[in-house]
Amino acid sequence: MNHLLAVPIILPAVMAALLLILHRAPIAAARVVSVGATGCLLGVAFAIFAQAGPSAPLVYALGNWPAPFGIVLVADRLSALMLTLTALLGLVVALYAAQGWDAKGRFFHPLFLFQLMGLNGAFLTGDLFNLFVFFEVLLIASYCLTLQGLGRERLRATLHYAALNIAASSVFLIAVSLLYGVTGTLNMAHLAERIARVPAEDIALVRAAGLLLLGVFGVKAALFPLHFWLPAAYSSAPAPVAALFSIMTKIGIYAIIRLKTLVYGIDAGAVMDLTTPWLLPCALVTLSFATIGAFGADRLAIMAAYLTMASTGTILSTVALGGAAALSAALYYLAHSTVVIAVLFLSADLIGRSRGDMGDALHPGPQIRHAGWLGLAFLFGGATVAGLPPLSGFLGKVLVLQSTQEGSAAAPMWTVVLVTSVLTLIACTRAGSIVLWNVTEPLPGRPAHPLRRGELIAFTILVACSLMLVVFAAPLLRYFDETAADLISPTPYIDAVLGSSRDGVIKPYAGVSGD
Amino acid sequence: MELMVSLGLGAVTACAVYLLLRARTFPMVLGLSLLSSAANVFIFSMGRLRSGIPPIVNSETTGYADPLPQALVLTAIVIGFGMTGFIMALAVRARYQTGSDHVDGMEPAANRTPADES
Amino acid sequence: MTLLIIILLPFFAGAAGTLMAQRRGFSAAAWAAAVPTAASLALLAGEVPEILTGEHIIVSWPWLPSVGLNLSLRLDGLSLLFGLLILGIGLLVILYTRYYLSPEDRIGRLYALLMLFTTAMLGIVFSENALLLLMFWELTSLSSFLLIGFWTHSPLARQGARMAFAVTGGGGLALLGGLLLIGNIAGSFELSAWFAARDAIRNHPQFNIALALILLGAFTKSAQFPFHFWLPAAMAAPTPVSAFLHSATMVKAGVFLLARLYPLLGGNLVFEYVTTTVGLTTMVFGAYVAMFRHDLKGLLAYSTISHLGLIMFLLGLDTPMSSLAAVFHVGNHATFKASLFMAAGIIDHECGTRDMRRLGGLWRQMPQTAALAIVAASAMAGVPLFNGFLSKEMFFAEALDLHGIPLLESIAPAAVTLGSMFSVAYSVRFIHDVFFDQPHDLPHQPHKPPRYMKIPAEVLAVVCIAVGVLPSYTVAPLVDVAARAVVGDSLPFYRIALWHGFSLPMVMSIVALAGGSGIYWLLRNRYDVHLHVPARYTGRLLFQHAYDGSVALAGRCMNRLQNGSLQRYLALSIAAFIGLGAWPFIQHGFQTGRLAPMPVGPLGLVVWGIAMIGALGMVWSHRTRVVAVILAGVVGLVASITFAYFSAPDLSLTQLAVEVVTTVVLLMALARLPQATPRESTTHRIVRDAALAVIAGAGVALLSWAVLTREQDSIAWYFLENSVPGGGGHNVVNVLLVDFRGFDTFGEIIVLGMAAIGVWLVLAGMRVEWPAILPKPEANGIMFAAAARLLLPFALLVAVSMFLRGHDLPGGGFLAGLIVSLALLMQYMGEGLHPILTRVRIDFLVLIGAGVLLAGLTGLAGMMAGRPFLTSANGDLHIPFLGDLPLASAVAFDLGVFMAVLGTALLTLTALGQARRKSPEAEEGRPWN
Repeated sequence: MNHLLAVPIILPAVMAALLLILHRAPIAAARVVSVGATGCLLGVAFAIFAQAGPSAPLVYALGNWPAPFGIVLVADRLSALMLTLTALLGLVVALYAAQGWDAKGRFFHPLFLFQLMGLNGAFLTGDLFNLFVFFEVLLIASYCLTLQGLGRERLRATLHYAALNIAASSVFLIAVSLLYGVTGTLNMAHLAERIARVPAEDIALVRAAGLLLLGVFGVKAALFPLHFWLPAAYSSAPAPVAALFSIMTKIGIYAIIRLKTLVYGIDAGAVMDLTTPWLLPCALVTLSFATIGAFGADRLAIMAAYLTMASTGTILSTVALGGAAALSAALYYLAHSTVVIAVLFLSADLIGRSRGDMGDALHPGPQIRHAGWLGLAFLFGGATVAGLPPLSGFLGKVLVLQSTQEGSAAAPMWTVVLVTSVLTLIACTRAGSIVLWNVTEPLPGRPAHPLRRGELIAFTILVACSLMLVVFAAPLLRYFDETAADLISPTPYIDAVLGSSRDGVIKPYAGVSGD
Repeated sequence: MELMVSLGLGAVTACAVYLLLRARTFPMVLGLSLLSSAANVFIFSMGRLRSGIPPIVNSETTGYADPLPQALVLTAIVIGFGMTGFIMALAVRARYQTGSDHVDGMEPAANRTPADES
Repeated sequence: MTLLIIILLPFFAGAAGTLMAQRRGFSAAAWAAAVPTAASLALLAGEVPEILTGEHIIVSWPWLPSVGLNLSLRLDGLSLLFGLLILGIGLLVILYTRYYLSPEDRIGRLYALLMLFTTAMLGIVFSENALLLLMFWELTSLSSFLLIGFWTHSPLARQGARMAFAVTGGGGLALLGGLLLIGNIAGSFELSAWFAARDAIRNHPQFNIALALILLGAFTKSAQFPFHFWLPAAMAAPTPVSAFLHSATMVKAGVFLLARLYPLLGGNLVFEYVTTTVGLTTMVFGAYVAMFRHDLKGLLAYSTISHLGLIMFLLGLDTPMSSLAAVFHVGNHATFKASLFMAAGIIDHECGTRDMRRLGGLWRQMPQTAALAIVAASAMAGVPLFNGFLSKEMFFAEALDLHGIPLLESIAPAAVTLGSMFSVAYSVRFIHDVFFDQPHDLPHQPHKPPRYMKIPAEVLAVVCIAVGVLPSYTVAPLVDVAARAVVGDSLPFYRIALWHGFSLPMVMSIVALAGGSGIYWLLRNRYDVHLHVPARYTGRLLFQHAYDGSVALAGRCMNRLQNGSLQRYLALSIAAFIGLGAWPFIQHGFQTGRLAPMPVGPLGLVVWGIAMIGALGMVWSHRTRVVAVILAGVVGLVASITFAYFSAPDLSLTQLAVEVVTTVVLLMALARLPQATPRESTTHRIVRDAALAVIAGAGVALLSWAVLTREQDSIAWYFLENSVPGGGGHNVVNVLLVDFRGFDTFGEIIVLGMAAIGVWLVLAGMRVEWPAILPKPEANGIMFAAAARLLLPFALLVAVSMFLRGHDLPGGGFLAGLIVSLALLMQYMGEGLHPILTRVRIDFLVLIGAGVLLAGLTGLAGMMAGRPFLTSANGDLHIPFLGDLPLASAVAFDLGVFMAVLGTALLTLTALGQARRKSPEAEEGRPWN
């Protein structure tokens, strides 16, 4: 019995619970636990990454109840990828926050660990309702983390964030139970089979459930017009939290990919591709909207927040165009953007912190300490996100464009992507030249915060990851291609989860126990 | 009976949505909590309606209502309760901090500057 | 391999070296930059003989085959010529820079950036793979951005840098599009493959789009009209940078690109028309504007634009000789323009100004500088015996035989002559105004420039003359192979020489020289050029306005759309969800099922009526909030009854308990909020919301109706069958919660716990009045307290039984937890902030943590037995008097749930109820950053 799959969920949960019990202990202890746990998580994630690759998806039946009856954890290549990204980001954030951010709020570390647990659970679970539960875990954790330190803006942003997402959760429940009502199951692999065979008169219901789910995930991914909560929430959240949130939108994207390729993935003619009429236009609008937002932003953090949204737009429009190549490109872009967005948020924080009262506002301000390093950091982030070669953003953009140049959607796609790239480029140069070059006073009167070692380490890890995405692009792309291939043909996944024989799993339910 | 449940469900949902769209935090939160109870009843109804056969296994009867949606509803109720409590507290604090219980943290009268926005 | 070294050496050796060397002083930094560059130059020179024989080298390493991106390099005549220019002039610029910069400048940074640029530029000219070329292309844009903005304190520098990057970087993205399209058509990104598939590519429908995008890239980079404006703006860069990037190298990248792709594009009509037209326009326009610039560098910038136009024009033409002329002029222009920039830099350096209205008569103070400036300027003007003359004359010759280009054919000769007259005019002005005319107001008395500062310019001047006098002994072979690399071997017999006999081009040259001088005389004496003010609507100003305008506009749009109004956000989201939910039914139509509905009982009707009244009443009276809360409770109660009626006792009980607690929570919160909601919604908004609400409600009703009338197929039978044997419990719902789907519950209690923590976080440090609705502790009498105290044990008893029977009968940990906390709440309300509660308040956290931990550990116990997480074990425990008590390991799990719930409820309630205690967390109430 391979317990590996359970670790990414149980480890952080147990650690967080311990930290709650010992919440009186000095914060140093919490930091050690937090960093240690994330370290372990990274190791585990790599292990799963290694195992999920070659063999069929790993399946772990919780409570030893067979699918589809019990809840199963499933790790295929996609889940493994997401787990790894999460763990990486988690480690970076833990290191960064341990430099003092965590002391400014309360219970940072338990909440942070619960957040990781929620993310990992969402990436691993193979049960739709369980996915809902983990969504709630990561949401409530993210509310509390956004709130860290309170303050007017944070309260307002969190109130909006929470209100929209709680409402969306109700829709999630309605959609999931609707699917159960029609198909009689909750396991995603099993749902895929049931939906493929859904009788004609139920198609509308099934599709309605699917589209509602698309909407719910769209809220998480900040897909236009469900994105409104994001800019305020992300830009007002504490920097490490914002950096962690660069994976939070990805959870929505992950769920949409699962929905599109697994749950509604078997093309049985009855249910044609669910997302087609909606996803592409929304994603392109998201991309344009977000780019305009980044272009007109008046704070670095807000710019970063809008760029998060822009990455959602790029990825989802690519996903919408379907096809293995497009999916693989989307996955590369997903990995790239997760890292670079974190870089942007952290550098925005470092720069803002060293500009005194001016913060990260895009106005001429005092000369900053370590201008060289911070400048380099921002240059790196900006160049990467704007897609300048030879950085990961460039590769991502090339892949996206290459994989989408066939078909009727190519023209709008290309236009939007290229134009928004130019705008992003201009926005970044503008921001950089204002914040780093346009200096009013030589040095701030107050002593600027020094760069702390842990922060530098965290930052370096991120940059290293971003660079590795380019250096090891070839093997990574091979992995992404395989992942895309898996997603395109979900049958092996379904077999791995449900086993070979599925007769008698579903029975007409007359309210009497069948025997 | 089914029809009535559906209609009642619809009515409650409608009221929830309307309250959700109010300008003050308190009605908004009421709307949210009402919406989640509506969702719970909806989940429950997805197991169809059967009266008088609770899913408690015993030797006499072999007829039981569908237990799965009931379990889901229990989970949902609990989560909904937690969320309601949280956002309620959030609203209280927002009022305390901003002096207004408007959902946007400022009285509409106060003319907004772009800085407050986005 | 050598090629790779040639490319990478400057950056990897140079950049690091200079940065380290800069604290050792300027010379050290200069050496650190010069040595790698020289090494590269030497390596490249080593390749010259082989290339001169007409060979070309192609090396390739795969990088991302799937993308088509390979590290493949090509060395042929064209890249050799450019490579030599880049490295040669680069070397001179390095020397020049060392004396140009002032001590406070960070020379290491400038050198490092120059090295980066050199590598990028070399990469462009040596790339065999189109994507690789593009990567270096954008890298030049980036490095030029940083170089132009080197003097970050100057607003002009920042603006110029941004403008240059926006235009060239944007063009680069267009180029990316074009190259990707062609790559897709050709199925490869190797240039040789493209040339091989020439016809297939050119006949492809997408070719013209690709062509347009590529030309866009080339024109922006080479500052062609109307994209020229970034180049004058870029003059804010340090002069060495201008001499290197904006005369010799970067601006030539566009030209190079077209020359490189000539085998693919050449002869295509669209290409020919567009390029020649744009080139000619740019040439005349640039030359004309140049005459009126007062700033030396401004004049040179526009002259550069004009010469680039000239080269573009030649490249556009479809004759082999034109390409040869183009390549030749690239070299010539690079030499004389670079030296002129250096001269301008020297003048600026020594006189403190570059304004021709102030300068004058400098030949006395700096005769050598004057001499070499005169040489370079004559070359620029196309005076015989200087290299500019040769290519200029070829250019005339080409302009004379444009066959098959209807309109241009007739205009071109006149146009080029005119353009050349202008260029003569500004060349003359450069010399006369600076060196001979009387000085007007020099900032300070000019002093002699340092010896070594002049050397680079001198070297270039010598080249100008050498090439001009003895072309065939100097550059002819190089130019020849370069041209052959462009047009293939279709080059006819020709001879670069000073004297071709008396020909029409000759006449044109003479006309240009004479006319140009004449124009200058007119400008000087009739129209006093020094009083000329530049036009207001230059491309640069327009761009700047567009730039600032669009930034402001974008900001305004966002504030309009993303206006921070939750009501709008919610409304839009709800509308979106309605649309999503409705779409399939619009497509497929709505069908109810065939199941016969249950009969309606009287009780049902009553309950239903209550629900309706409650819900609608809430909307009606939501302004008086207490009433609304009560009615919400009523609705919850109805839900509870519904559950009970439809055989869900667990749900019924839980719903009841939760409803009570929720109501208390809401009331406590209400005590800290206004008691009433003001009327502020406009009718329009009310209608909108009501519409949304009704539609949403109808949708939900229809969905549930559709399902309720359908037959059910489900996996649920499994739970009924396995509850007792597998889960050891008769209450299937409870077994589902703690066993089949225990994982959900595990997550659920964590959510609950975090919600409580959130409540506590949010309310920490709030100093609030005692809730008006709850009885004041002092106020309420003994009775209440006594009742509460009496109630407690009973409540506890009930809770215990609920907990224990949960596995078989309705009940369970969650319910028990709620009951206990309710009882404690009564107690707490009875006696106010009970000392125990105040002391242990914070430790509800421990309770929550312990609960989660216990649940987790129960799950882990299964693992110890080698089974998966949360695997349960069960057996019967015999307790005297109570009989057999079925005991599942899941009970421990349920205990965890109980603890977590208890902790949560109490933490929430006490956090909400906590009163006027000045709490240590008060400080945290303030925001921090």
